[in-house]
Amino acid sequence: MRRCCSILAAVFFCAGTLFASDVTGDFSHANQLYAAGKFSDAAKAYDNILNSGAVSANLLFDAGNAQFKSGNLGRAIAAYRRATVLAPRDADIRANLDFARNQVQGTTWRQTWWEGWLAALSLNAWTAIAAIAFWLALLLFAAMQLRPAWKPLLRGPARGLAAATVFFCACLGAATATHFSNSVAVVVLPDAVTRSGPFDDAQNAFAVHDGAELAVLDQRNGWVQVSDGSGRSGWIKSAQVEILPAI
Amino acid sequence: MAKNRTTNSIRNNGVLHAAGARLFAPVAAVLAVCLFFPFAACAANFTARLDRDTIMLGETATLSLTFEGGQPGNVPAPQVPGLEISNTGNSSNISWVNGQMSTVFTVTFLVTPEQTGEFVIPGMEADIGGQRIQTEPIKLTVNKPGSPSASQINSGSQIAFMRFNLPDKKVYPGEMIAGQLQIFFRDDAQNPQGLQLTAMPADGFTVGKMSQGSTERARIGDHMYSVVPISVALTAVKTGTLSVGPISASVLVFVNGENGNWGPFGGFFGGQQKQVTMSTDPVSATSVPLPSINVPPDFNGAVGDYTMTVNAGPTNIAVGDPVTVRVKISGRGSFDSLSLPSHTDWHDFKIFTPTSKTETSDGLGDEGSKTFEEIVTPENANIHELPPISFSFFNPDDGNYHTLTQQAMPLLVTSAGVTPIPTVAGAKTENQTPQPPQDIVSIRENLGALAQAGSPLITRPAFLALQSVPVIAFVTALVWRRRTDNLANNPRLRRRLAVQQLVASGLDDLNKFAAENKSNEFFATLFRLLQEELGERLDCPAISITEADADERLAAMGAKPETLNSLRELFQACNQARYAQVQTSQGLSALASKFKNTVSELQELNA
Repeated sequence: MRRCCSILAAVFFCAGTLFASDVTGDFSHANQLYAAGKFSDAAKAYDNILNSGAVSANLLFDAGNAQFKSGNLGRAIAAYRRATVLAPRDADIRANLDFARNQVQGTTWRQTWWEGWLAALSLNAWTAIAAIAFWLALLLFAAMQLRPAWKPLLRGPARGLAAATVFFCACLGAATATHFSNSVAVVVLPDAVTRSGPFDDAQNAFAVHDGAELAVLDQRNGWVQVSDGSGRSGWIKSAQVEILPAI
Repeated sequence: MAKNRTTNSIRNNGVLHAAGARLFAPVAAVLAVCLFFPFAACAANFTARLDRDTIMLGETATLSLTFEGGQPGNVPAPQVPGLEISNTGNSSNISWVNGQMSTVFTVTFLVTPEQTGEFVIPGMEADIGGQRIQTEPIKLTVNKPGSPSASQINSGSQIAFMRFNLPDKKVYPGEMIAGQLQIFFRDDAQNPQGLQLTAMPADGFTVGKMSQGSTERARIGDHMYSVVPISVALTAVKTGTLSVGPISASVLVFVNGENGNWGPFGGFFGGQQKQVTMSTDPVSATSVPLPSINVPPDFNGAVGDYTMTVNAGPTNIAVGDPVTVRVKISGRGSFDSLSLPSHTDWHDFKIFTPTSKTETSDGLGDEGSKTFEEIVTPENANIHELPPISFSFFNPDDGNYHTLTQQAMPLLVTSAGVTPIPTVAGAKTENQTPQPPQDIVSIRENLGALAQAGSPLITRPAFLALQSVPVIAFVTALVWRRRTDNLANNPRLRRRLAVQQLVASGLDDLNKFAAENKSNEFFATLFRLLQEELGERLDCPAISITEADADERLAAMGAKPETLNSLRELFQACNQARYAQVQTSQGLSALASKFKNTVSELQELNA
């Protein structure tokens, strides 16, 4: 039994190592294409790596750069947004995302200040912070029960950690609700038209441009109901947008 | 046109005899409908027609021979002296009409006149389905190209005519000039349509875009004319005498009837449609060579009047990173032939093929801008600037060469994989505002830590289950604390627990003494346990318990008579053992069992 477990562990380790080395090689090749100015080819190479299941903030960042240089503003913004989920405080990713957003024409949805504040940390980071505060607070309270003599010493930190737990859990709740209930559709085609209903022959509502970020209101039969920054809403084909979590 | 079309068809209409009988008129009508059309569909027909009856020398006309109702046995090849007639192809069309197949076979010829005059294409005969069908002769007039004379124009005999003028100036090779073509329509020529330039020979010029201006009015002789101006972009391609024309055009107009008046419904009823062929005289211009002195070394043939703007970015890069250089040349001239100056001194850069985009602001395309976008990558970290970019052109207006130069632009190139050291800003004043970025931050060379793909932690059941650990620890500690506090504050409870523990261990001892038949130890232990249990139950010192006292107080607490009897028997056994210590091992075990049952019953009493 122990031998089987060892063999399985070795197989998994070797497979993981081979996968990582393949990804690194493909990544270097994509970077070379980018350096040679073959941005479209580089973008395809980065996409192939992403489609293989590998994902990292740097990979998404480079993929966004290649898409941007290829003129695919929407796909670049989508890649940068994905990168910010993994590395929310990376200054370069933020800078390129802002730079790409400045190239977008027309109205676009912008997150509120508190959504921006929540987006400073990833959902997993909020979860970890809240969990750590929760564990520490309860362990301190348990210690106070086990050793009443320590109560005067532990009471202050325990109450502080309890307050922190309540605060971080509230932030986690808000971040979770925003992550799962609010989505953003990034337009990935040069020009698209929203319609008043989820039908091909519905009346045109308003035009959106490549890279525009729209709040998702509903999804139905391959159509997405979106709202732009000025409060207008319309239906757009899901193939024309890439849907991402709001934070 | 109708007179050019000759038709000779044979239709089989024998069934129409049936229509003569009045009694069978309805039947005959049905039969006519059913039978006439199929036969009509398969009737043989042979048509010859020209697309125009009047052309200028140098133009061509198209002769079409159409065979209907079957394949021709022979295709006649017309031959006319003074006309070159050449076969340009054939086509066929098959259709089904009322169950009958109809075939249309068409042969086209290109008719090119070799001289002016009137020509007649003779009638042609063809064999279709065994029927010999002949067309009638067709007349073609070939006129000498050129604009009509002033007397012809002034007399008003020309329904439409045109003139062509070039700017009165010398031109240079590569220079773009605008020729002016004017088309005059007499007032009674209504609704001109289908204007077609049929010939526009140009010697030494390349003909570019055309732009139609707004229609003007002009009086020539006794007639008013509508003038349609058309500007033609012409680019000189050689030196010497250049010429344009004769330009030929044809147009379809409606002209009034013989009496000179229009009918009540205009040209449809009062006039006739007429195709008018027009021509201009050849116009020449003189092209002089570009000056051979003071020619800039990087001059590559651009002629016009231009300005240049250059921008490049990003300028803070690593070796091998791309820099996009955009050169925008704006102004007036021939943008099609404009090319980016070569970078002969860009030794340390890898240069990719540039792309260009032309945006013109006028119809002729001689004003606007052309933007070249070029990707270059620095090949080493010793590069500190983009070399200067210069563009030279010859301005035909002042007859001089000009050179536009963009000075070298600073570059910060670092070795690949090295992050550029950020500039440390000095004391920042309030007036200083951060410069907006010119380009995106370049790519990263390392892949970085691969993230675990999967759902967020908050949705994973194992993670959520793990959060119960501190809760359980806290609850356990809390319960333990409560229990400890209860014991500390309740002596009776503490005694009861202690007695329960003592009885439990004493029962083990009793069983052991019974098994070993040690009656002395057995009864001493039994008596001590009875005292401890009754003392705890009656809340009094164990040593002060007597049998009579216990009986009375236990009965008051509601003890059962059986319990009291068992208790008495146990006490009596203990008393008897002091005097007669003869007991078997089985007897001791029975007493131990009885003690156990009695204690259980006592512990159920509410103390």
